[in-house]
Amino acid sequence: MIKKSYIISLVTIISFLGISATWVISKANDSIHELPAIIKKVPNFSMTSHTGTPFNQDSLKNKISILDFIFTSCPGPCPIMSTNMRTLYKQYKLHPNLQFISISVDPEYDTQDVLKLYADANGVNDERWKFLRTDMESVKKLNKEGFMFMSESLPAGHSVKFVLIDEEGNIRQYYNGTDKGSISILRNHINSFLKTFSENV
Amino acid sequence: MQRYFQFSILSMVFTYLLIFIGGLVRVSGAGMGCPDWPRCFGRWIPPTSLSQLPDYIDPEKFNLVLAWVEYLNRLFGALVGFIILITFVLGYLHFKQSKRVLLSISIAFFLTLLEGWVGAKLVDTVLDPITITIHLLLALIIIGLIIYSSIQSYYLIVGNFEKSSNYHPHLKNVIIGILVCLFIEIIIGTEIRGGLDMSRKDNPLIESIILLKMLGPFKYIHTILGFSLLGLTLYLRKIVYDIKFRSSPFMINSVNFIMILIVTQILLGESLVFFDVKPLMQLFHMWFSSLLIGLAVSVFTFWKISLEP
Repeated sequence: MIKKSYIISLVTIISFLGISATWVISKANDSIHELPAIIKKVPNFSMTSHTGTPFNQDSLKNKISILDFIFTSCPGPCPIMSTNMRTLYKQYKLHPNLQFISISVDPEYDTQDVLKLYADANGVNDERWKFLRTDMESVKKLNKEGFMFMSESLPAGHSVKFVLIDEEGNIRQYYNGTDKGSISILRNHINSFLKTFSENV
Repeated sequence: MQRYFQFSILSMVFTYLLIFIGGLVRVSGAGMGCPDWPRCFGRWIPPTSLSQLPDYIDPEKFNLVLAWVEYLNRLFGALVGFIILITFVLGYLHFKQSKRVLLSISIAFFLTLLEGWVGAKLVDTVLDPITITIHLLLALIIIGLIIYSSIQSYYLIVGNFEKSSNYHPHLKNVIIGILVCLFIEIIIGTEIRGGLDMSRKDNPLIESIILLKMLGPFKYIHTILGFSLLGLTLYLRKIVYDIKFRSSPFMINSVNFIMILIVTQILLGESLVFFDVKPLMQLFHMWFSSLLIGLAVSVFTFWKISLEP
């Protein structure tokens, strides 16, 4: 008799824990995969990539993009940012719908050849990661008005953020490109975007 | 003395709940729900909106649900720490003469403090896999010590409840074998879990079940050791039921419970491989292994007490 009541209470406890845990897990899962809201549209711009191809706002269409601002001779955070970007670039090698964009904030030094060398050094061997340049004035303008970063002390004072841009060219979220925790949140968001994107196509 | 026993049981129940909540944090991906420690986004009560975030924390890290799941673990952890502290003080007051009770609850208490520190390190290292494993192993050692201390105090309170029992000479080695296998099995289990997380990062959007199949040898060792544990438990059950010896109902119930749990674990583990890696199943797979540790420690303690006059 005692045994029976034991088993009943055990089953009750386990069911209770199971139901509560299911609720928490589903809530957490929904919150992780919830897509961040649109912040603003990326304005029109025109640049050239390290391979010499033109790149503008229309090149953002129909792709999910991760974008940052760097310069190749940067001693500080850029190497960490590029390392993190490279890791993502490698991890998502099977996903051509995801592109990576690094814009130089020091176009005078970062000529197309320099950017090409930098791309090679980062193991870029396909179209998924592009290093872009234009004249200093336009970069400053895009940096400030397009992405709402400080642009007074470029190149050194550039932002360390990675920007997630959706398939319609809207800025969806900023992430700290030097922080492991932020990058892992970015990864979750990329996954959700790629999933919804591939479902819609 | 009675009070001590009651509090040690309370410690045990709450520690088990905490292990469950800790596993829940893990499977729901809420480990970094609060990017700082001990506070959450610089606050003692997690923020409810973005505007409450301090400037030194990146706003993209804020997720209301994850912050609360993680914070629940911390609050509950603090509560459990407090209950174990009271148990430790009661042990010091009533069981100064008994090294078995006092020493085990003292170690449990100090490991609990260490466990809190490891929890802080987990946040610092952004969930380093080895630190996660240490966090779990410490919890299992703590629960083992609490149970050992609790049963030993019960023995001192009610007298030798194992007086009329005697056990097969193999029992000691079998139960130690089971405990060792359980610990190895749990460490391999955390490796599988960690490996799955790693390969999920490197192969985003690929089904977990496919990734699990890619993991290789660890998974087979885990299965083989699981069946070895089943074999050991079957033998344990055989010698406990042997009519040449007399077993206490405590012993028989514990061994039967171990038996049921091992079978459940094998079924759960295999369904993770053959059906799908469901977070809820992973959570119970982990939690049942902590129950197994507790039961194996109980069996060991009953045997030890049966040797007393």
